[in-house]
Amino acid sequence: MNIVVCVKQVPDTTEVKINPETGTLIRNGVPSIINPYDHFALQTALELKKKHGFRVTVVSMGPPQAKSVVQMGLALGADEGVLLSDMAFAGSDTWATSYALAKAVKKIGKTDMIFCGMQAIDGDTAQTGPAIAQHLGMAQVTFCEHVEVDGRRIIARKQIDGGYETVECRPPALFTMIMHKDYVPKYPSFLAVHASLAKPYHVWSAEDIGAEAQYLGLKGSPTQVSKIYPPPQKEKAEMFAGSGQAAAERILEIMRKEHFTQ
Amino acid sequence: MASIDTISRNLMLDSLREYAKRRIPYDLIRELDEKNEFPADILKEMYEHDVLGLHLLMVPAEYGGVSGGTFDIYRVCEMLARIDLGIATGVFATFLGTDPLNVGGTSEQKEKWLRRIASENLLVAYGATEADAGSDLINLRTRAEQVVKNGKIAGYNITGNKQWISNGGVADLYTILAMAPGGPSWFLVERNMEGFSPNKHEDKHGIRLSNTAGLSLDNVFVPAENLIGMEEGKGLLQAQAVFGYTRVMVAAFGLGAGMEALEQAIRYSQQRIQAGTPLSDKQGYTHKLIVPNYVKLEGAKTYIEDVANRLDSGEHGLQTEGAIAKYGASEWGNKAADDAIQALGGYGYTKDFPVEKIKRDIKITCIYEGTSEVLQMTIYRGRWQEHLKSRGRYYLDMADKLDQVHAGEPGAGAHAAALALRALAAVLEECRVHKLTRHQHVTFKLGALICAAETAAVFATACAAQKYGETVRFDRPTWQAMSRVFAREAALGVAMEGLALVLGASENGGDLAEAVNMTAVQAEQKGMIADMDLVAAKLKQTFKAK
Repeated sequence: MNIVVCVKQVPDTTEVKINPETGTLIRNGVPSIINPYDHFALQTALELKKKHGFRVTVVSMGPPQAKSVVQMGLALGADEGVLLSDMAFAGSDTWATSYALAKAVKKIGKTDMIFCGMQAIDGDTAQTGPAIAQHLGMAQVTFCEHVEVDGRRIIARKQIDGGYETVECRPPALFTMIMHKDYVPKYPSFLAVHASLAKPYHVWSAEDIGAEAQYLGLKGSPTQVSKIYPPPQKEKAEMFAGSGQAAAERILEIMRKEHFTQ
Repeated sequence: MASIDTISRNLMLDSLREYAKRRIPYDLIRELDEKNEFPADILKEMYEHDVLGLHLLMVPAEYGGVSGGTFDIYRVCEMLARIDLGIATGVFATFLGTDPLNVGGTSEQKEKWLRRIASENLLVAYGATEADAGSDLINLRTRAEQVVKNGKIAGYNITGNKQWISNGGVADLYTILAMAPGGPSWFLVERNMEGFSPNKHEDKHGIRLSNTAGLSLDNVFVPAENLIGMEEGKGLLQAQAVFGYTRVMVAAFGLGAGMEALEQAIRYSQQRIQAGTPLSDKQGYTHKLIVPNYVKLEGAKTYIEDVANRLDSGEHGLQTEGAIAKYGASEWGNKAADDAIQALGGYGYTKDFPVEKIKRDIKITCIYEGTSEVLQMTIYRGRWQEHLKSRGRYYLDMADKLDQVHAGEPGAGAHAAALALRALAAVLEECRVHKLTRHQHVTFKLGALICAAETAAVFATACAAQKYGETVRFDRPTWQAMSRVFAREAALGVAMEGLALVLGASENGGDLAEAVNMTAVQAEQKGMIADMDLVAAKLKQTFKAK
């Protein structure tokens, strides 16, 4: 089978601040990371590759520096990488982005499974994955924490309110992944990063994937973000630095003071 | 030297950071520090090819490595120092131990040994230091006697003792400096060779996660092909050839550890409320303990990156520059760590908080790979020659370039840096005229002033450039404010201390105030507090409380 994994480069939200005056993100000096849900999706796909010998292609859309997340996929074991990078894509909302990614999947060729993260931690829309499936007329299973393949059967464990649902489907299908609770993200070794430079990697423009300009960028986006603002602050939390033991002792001290314990 | 592209380098750094986060938490580091224990399992794991393969950075791709350049190695060293300077030292020892091979090895030796280091994940140690041969290797006592068989040199018998060798007790392979009949030479010695034995692990003030031990060599026979370069007498040249580069690594240690301590203090200062407001809002706190240190380290970082880029672009040696990079970063890093303890008050003085350990660890960066005093002398010697050769124009020419930088970008601190350089030129000239360099104190002090002035010049030039380095975490106005603070302090320091130095040493020295342009240096101090306010505010924003 051929697998495509869609990944996004996002700012590390634990470091992001919002400028209260302009309502924009202060990205200066904030490191970029692979969207954590996409990281899990990538690892799920690579485990299937390891087990069944599937071919994995990593796709991202973004500015040239987003090559980083594609290369990370290659270093972790993917076979081929694609970055959609073109000013024509700039400002795309989830609809325009999913249109472009679907076009890229078509250009990649026969695709049996597509993996996406459930959502990106910077936008939190959870729309791009399902919209790609819609553009491609493909089945989709959202909020999966595990996907297994048995011949032509794909069995996905999907999270639902209060439990899980096992869904079986046949390819082609798209899966959006939540994170498994025991999941440990893998990072490539220095040698794997070095070796990834020799793997096939392509940068495609809108023209390369045959995308029509009217469906791309700000112009092709039915939604636009008008303002970003931090939620009103509640009471301040006090954080304890230092060792776990020191923090625990401090917490115990406060609990005693407030008569939660003796 | 080849370099790794930016994206690949940052992926490698991400992998290292994540590995450390998962595998080397502070509680473990603290425990190992208390036990004075070298984490052999962690070092070995970091070398595993499918985990990190950290040591491959030093090995060219043709021998199974990843061909890291100086800039790549600087970035990795800086991050390692943030994690733990003891572990960083263990890794560095492998880098350093591999250096004589990289620099002086024949292609057959590289093929054999670099490939083995890469594929077998060998821990390497660099065996130069002895009881009487530290910074001054002339007193080398370890001897290598030729063993002649059938009229040919079959090998060498090495006898002697080495001291304070990082990885000394745990390495698989040692590069040993010994006096051969033809002069000092490097030899490859394997751990299991007969007559070779490491001594006990030292009980050190800091970097306690690094194994440090003496080595005993009692008639250790090494085959002739283990003489690096296959030629006797090249040892000191081979050692010196990499000083520019190895000192950049230790500079990165001072930088990384110092920055880490300061960043922890900045985060803490936003949570600690005293007299109704956080410490981070008090000038008496930030402008004493945080801002001056951060600005110094930002300057040191810019200087280190400049040297690393120059080495990667093919410039050789750069011994004076390497010395400036290390002297500045280690001295300022040490001061920053000291002030970080002060910034955390009573908490900083306890072992619950990492700044206490960082302060103990970072001191070594002022000692190993050239003590601060040896570096002051190296810097002075290098630049004194330039001053004489150029008939006093060396720093004046540099200042003229800074004037051009200032004309193009007036906000980058280039004017103050030019004042520092001109004051320095005046002080050096006064020293020449009155023969003041006969006082060793004067020469060492000049080394320190040169470091400050040159760092200011490089910092201002970088801040004025349109393209910023990948490690700059601040917007343009903030970074330039940092450069201005640095350059003003440098100008004032060079003028005042230079003046005091000349007057103190000279029997008939005149009034230097005009020569160092004290009026302009004083006028340049205008706007200092406003700049420090801006830097303090941005530091708080960048390193917010967790």
